[in-house]
Amino acid sequence: MENSNSITVFLMALLASAMPMYAAPAAAAAARPVPVVRVNATNQAWDYFHPWTKHAPYSHRGLGAVLDHGEVLVTAELIQNASYVELERAESGDKVPATVEAVDYEADLALLKPADDGFLKGITPLALTDAAVGDHLAVWQLETTGALLITDALLTTVEVGRYPQEDVALLNYSLTTSLQYRDGSFTVPIAKAGRLAGLLLRYDTRSQNANAIPAAVIEHFLHDAASKNYGGFPKAGLLFAPTRDPQLRRYAKIPTMIPGGVYITDVERNSPAQEAGIKQGDVLLEIAGKSVDQDGNYIDPRHGKLSLVNLISLQTAGSDVPYKLLRDGKPLSVDVTLRHKAADAYVIPPYIVGKSPGYYVLGGLVLQELSREYLKEWGSDWQKKAPERLVYYDRYQTELFQADRKRLVILSQVLPTTDTIGYEELGSLVVTKINDVPLMSLADVPRALEHPLNGFHKIEFEENPNVIYMDARHVGEHIETLKKTYGLPDISRTE
Amino acid sequence: MRFSTLRVSLAFLLLPARLLLADVHPTPPSAASTPAIPVPAIHRSLARITTTSQDPNYREPWAAGTISGGVGTGFIIDGERILTNAHVVSNARFLTVEKEDDPRKYTAKVQFIGHDCDLAVLKVNEPGFFNNTVPLDLGNIPEIESTVAAYGYPVGGDRMSVTEGIVSRIDFQTYTHSLVDSHLAIQISAAINPGNSGGPVLQHGKVVGVAFQGYSGDVAQNVGYMIPVPVIERFLKDISDGHYDKYMDLSIATFPLQNPAMRRALGLADDDRGVMVSTVAAEGCSDGVLKPGDVLMSIDGHEIASDGFTVLDGARVEMVEVVERKFKGDSVKLHIIRNRQEMDVTVPLDAAWPYLMQANTYDAAPRYVLYGGLLFQPLSRNFIEAYDIEDLRVRFFYDFFLQDELYKEHPEVIVLSAVLPDPTNTYLNDFKNGVVDEINGEKVRTLDDLANGFRKQADQYVIKMIGAGRPLVLDRAAAEAARERIDERYNVVKEQNLRD
Repeated sequence: MENSNSITVFLMALLASAMPMYAAPAAAAAARPVPVVRVNATNQAWDYFHPWTKHAPYSHRGLGAVLDHGEVLVTAELIQNASYVELERAESGDKVPATVEAVDYEADLALLKPADDGFLKGITPLALTDAAVGDHLAVWQLETTGALLITDALLTTVEVGRYPQEDVALLNYSLTTSLQYRDGSFTVPIAKAGRLAGLLLRYDTRSQNANAIPAAVIEHFLHDAASKNYGGFPKAGLLFAPTRDPQLRRYAKIPTMIPGGVYITDVERNSPAQEAGIKQGDVLLEIAGKSVDQDGNYIDPRHGKLSLVNLISLQTAGSDVPYKLLRDGKPLSVDVTLRHKAADAYVIPPYIVGKSPGYYVLGGLVLQELSREYLKEWGSDWQKKAPERLVYYDRYQTELFQADRKRLVILSQVLPTTDTIGYEELGSLVVTKINDVPLMSLADVPRALEHPLNGFHKIEFEENPNVIYMDARHVGEHIETLKKTYGLPDISRTE
Repeated sequence: MRFSTLRVSLAFLLLPARLLLADVHPTPPSAASTPAIPVPAIHRSLARITTTSQDPNYREPWAAGTISGGVGTGFIIDGERILTNAHVVSNARFLTVEKEDDPRKYTAKVQFIGHDCDLAVLKVNEPGFFNNTVPLDLGNIPEIESTVAAYGYPVGGDRMSVTEGIVSRIDFQTYTHSLVDSHLAIQISAAINPGNSGGPVLQHGKVVGVAFQGYSGDVAQNVGYMIPVPVIERFLKDISDGHYDKYMDLSIATFPLQNPAMRRALGLADDDRGVMVSTVAAEGCSDGVLKPGDVLMSIDGHEIASDGFTVLDGARVEMVEVVERKFKGDSVKLHIIRNRQEMDVTVPLDAAWPYLMQANTYDAAPRYVLYGGLLFQPLSRNFIEAYDIEDLRVRFFYDFFLQDELYKEHPEVIVLSAVLPDPTNTYLNDFKNGVVDEINGEKVRTLDDLANGFRKQADQYVIKMIGAGRPLVLDRAAAEAARERIDERYNVVKEQNLRD
């Protein structure tokens, strides 16, 4: 949440800029074409409160880094929910439509390809380079003339940090820099000695702190994008807590000669860690030959102390990684076959992009699946404003739901009609069954509606009023009126 | 009906009705009030009550609490008693009462107090107070639009004040004193202000209500509420056996049956009658008698409409008004339809509503256990407000305690509310706001269970919190050695209180 806020700050500040009127220095003008292009995206997100419509379109303008194979790298946020993406040459202003070749919303990276192969002609593609704390990097922006505006940025911290999607933690650069306002700076590349060191993730104009996606993450993304199946950034599916407390160390039977280790507090159902046999209460000592200290850090040869999460997320999905643990004080070694957990593998998906939300309007009852996109419609402080029960289910979903639970179907609101008289106040209710058929996802709804009970649809909820009925024949007869009254293109959109 | 009005009481928080107990240091008067109608002998029936109260501090439950004071009104009723609001004398440590034209301050004590109906009866300790006084009689429910006058000692001066208004509305209202109770209340347009609390509202020389709450001027104007005679009479009758048994409750939630399809699906005629039982609270009065899905058709012979209203004494009121007028040990006859079969059932009103955790609590010392610098307290409204809890899990346990029947497994929800820093608990701060599930493998259902757990000999106490994969581990020897040190450092005069 914090992240998306600061992103907004960045966007607003840079768009509200004044245009520089002076010409670029002659030396720069004579140079080769810059290895960045402008990227203009028109994005339109679905309205989860009215899942049959989209929000008004908005535009983002950013810079893309030109890479090998005629591809352009941008942040995924720039093209999230994009209806149209176009590339623009910095020096000439020539434009061409582009397609999204690969995208990872968790790593916040996307690869674009111009519709015209010759569009990037003359540009020397950027190679990637690693960076370390203390390095001076160059933040690249474009002047209106197309010349590069370069701002110095000091790399202050390298750590596993939060990405725009909540719950995502990947390697992250913190930079101190004083960026100027330039149009079209939603995404900007960061370079070191003419090579691509990262992509700017967010910039806070007040503190002048910036975060960037480091080359290591970009490299992982490019590697996966080039392979046939995009593997993504893997997870083991376990949660851990520090073992600094000597009382806990004694309880967990960690021998005194072992200095480190973290306590496994939770192992997700059907996760790689569970499949490998790791259990809650185990003590994790080592991953891939790197020992883990009491706080869950290891020593990285380049960056020093980093969270053990980095040992997992930067592995290739599908690889077997050796884990050393203690169970009841006795050593245990397992191989964990890491894999990425897709957003739609969650009961309440943490994000949905590029997919229209499903819904079913039953005589005026709006049924849809609970997702974080839905909760986020309550605004930036959705965690306080959205219905508490639904927020609670989202936050503790791995703890609360059984393995067979696919999705939660909710009655999100009631459109008043002759069929919903007396039901107007209902909303934010989890629907458990329709016509005695348990609902595991929205796809079960049309099937359940095929067999009304004695001419009625019986709809059951998790809480008050527990059950309501609709007249199946009336609901069927009133479909056209309902569509017309509320401007619904269709009464349902299910897979 | 406490159970089904939860949402109402929460909504009410946004528009808080202000209790009318005046602060001891009132703001300067804006206008002097002049008697609107002749008051022949009323001053011989009024009492000005000065309360010194001590409110417990839930963040420091071992401390005696903050001392504060207030002024309210009371009036004399038969039997040499003074009737006032419960909130005028809640948490009282010392009470004095005064009359007009008598310089003496008499000390008084609370004889009976009903926090659910915001009424209390006082006895005066010294003889002589009731000399030359006139007890007031109770009247009836006044007509809408009829004129009434409110008497009392509101802000704006020291002597008795009277204001006049009309009866604006008769309705169920949340009683803000407890915040979970809703009873009949009458809205009047007479100005009633802080200090009016507990004062009589008269019509034709008889009491038609006790002024008790209103809105502050920036929310609504000329809106004051009084407790009507049925509620007062019920309270006086309840205490007549020497004990206040509180209101009884069906402990169910109902759903109106206004949807034609729903009525037909349940096999009901198109006659606008009946409400559906949606929830029957486990261990409540209706548990084992009513079932979810039952349709309530009439209550003690009064037909129930599809919106949950019934007609009582010629007036349309919520059906629970029938239960409101009953007492512990009474029963309620319901005519119901279950699985399309008509039948009569009787709900015995014997189980007191045991889950008052969401109500404001008064005249009770906070329960807590402090061990190893870890403060454990049961979840309650007073607790939530004292700590301004935002933790999602704790909020969920509080807000859905009744709806999700969380009380079945945790009659008391024990929260680790604070960690008083000490070397024994250096690494335990992350557990703050955790809800205790087990201690050394034994389920913690109440605070007593936890206290018993700490009494048992063990090398380590292992406390499991709900949803936390890591247990809280406390070495017993270290915690025992730390007791004196922690008590002294944080001025803890008592390590636990298990009694109310």
